[in-house]
Amino acid sequence: MKPGPDSIFDIFMKLLENVPITLLVTLLSAVVAFFLGIAVTAVRIKRVKLLYPLVSVYISFSRGTPILIQLFVIYYGSPLLFKLFGIDINGWSQIVFAVMTLVFHNAAIFSEIARPAYLAVDKGQHDAADSIGMTGAQKVFRIIFPQVVPIALPSVGNLIIDLIKDTAILFTIGVVDLMGRAKLIIANNYGIGKVSVYIVVALMYWFISAIAEHGVRLIEKRNKKYKFASGLALGREDHDV
Amino acid sequence: MTFDLKTAAEAFLSNWTVVPATMGLAMLILALAIIIGMFIALIRIYRVPILSKLATVYVSFMRGTPLIVLLFIVYFSLPDTVEFMGKLFGTAVDPNKVSPLYSVIITYSLYISAFQSENIKGALASVDKGQMEAAYSIGFKTSQALMRIVFPQALKVAVPNFCNAYIGAIKALSLAFTVGFVDILAKAKLNSALNFRYIESYLAAALVYWMLCIALTRIFRKIEAGLKKNETLSTR
Repeated sequence: MKPGPDSIFDIFMKLLENVPITLLVTLLSAVVAFFLGIAVTAVRIKRVKLLYPLVSVYISFSRGTPILIQLFVIYYGSPLLFKLFGIDINGWSQIVFAVMTLVFHNAAIFSEIARPAYLAVDKGQHDAADSIGMTGAQKVFRIIFPQVVPIALPSVGNLIIDLIKDTAILFTIGVVDLMGRAKLIIANNYGIGKVSVYIVVALMYWFISAIAEHGVRLIEKRNKKYKFASGLALGREDHDV
Repeated sequence: MTFDLKTAAEAFLSNWTVVPATMGLAMLILALAIIIGMFIALIRIYRVPILSKLATVYVSFMRGTPLIVLLFIVYFSLPDTVEFMGKLFGTAVDPNKVSPLYSVIITYSLYISAFQSENIKGALASVDKGQMEAAYSIGFKTSQALMRIVFPQALKVAVPNFCNAYIGAIKALSLAFTVGFVDILAKAKLNSALNFRYIESYLAAALVYWMLCIALTRIFRKIEAGLKKNETLSTR
């Protein structure tokens, strides 16, 4: 292999090979964090006994510590924890721990977004749904949820961009995603041209984030078309009167 | 290997020694970020030609790129930059002796400034247009009107976000161990390197961050409550 720095194009092509891992980790964490976040929100809104204080501590811890330390605690701590139950997870891929951390971190933030969004829906909407004899599930999925989405979307967009950016720390436990590959390329070149590699990495993350932001904007626009937001405004007007 | 409580307790205590430095650095970074962010916000509000376009790209780039990548870019390009500047101005600074602290301060204040510029822009926009007009009508210059009338009012709106950004900066400084700045997490890492008890050290560090965040949140809530009290008294 020829020593010395690669051209910018070579670096880009090499890094591109590992973008799917970044995207996979992001997508998987986002989906799981979404469902866990909804469960956490439900516990907080319904004030489920026993679980409620537990969830409060979880959210406080998750929001009060840096994600990097959560990554280390989960990476080094969960094997010890699982060992208590006789399960050996030392052989598991780092990606599993990476996803665990991102889910742990983002489910709490998601619940912080979802709870106020849920509470922002006018109480009259609940009453109206009840008055026409809807079941609990029908009420949530047909009446409440469609109104929560437009309120929560802008914050969820920020959350997804933060999630993409947070994947950049996963190289510290050895995940070879976009950032991990950059580290390897630099190590292969004995550190020559590392600034240009990192600049390419930065531009790639920027591009991914921009696409994500654009996607969220599109969904926001689509929601406006369905006039969920205007229905909400109507509810608020009633409230004021 | 089992969990060793004694090591954890020792690590917990030793982690507190770096807390003041971390808090001070976060304060400096936030102050710089607010100043830079204010200029960006003003450029974007007044739509300064060329600069306003640049500011938009700058904010988008900073918000879309991971902090750690930016940190590496600054950290690894700083020696060359210092050498180049040294040649340009004829000062002899050994580029290899530049402390990583400078990279941390530069990167973090630039990164946070992008977020703060949005916050400040929103806060300035929240001040009623009539305030500026009233200031002009009694003969204030634009700079006077901004400094004496608009900024004090915008500050109230912006402060809660400043507080959050301060806590965010303290948490984000945990990334700075990658370039050799010893903050709470780096201290934990150093501890665990001595005794190979990783989980104890990291949990201890997590506890320090957690307590710090809870305490700061309490203090900031009080400050915000105080600001709200003033708001009801003001004629606005």
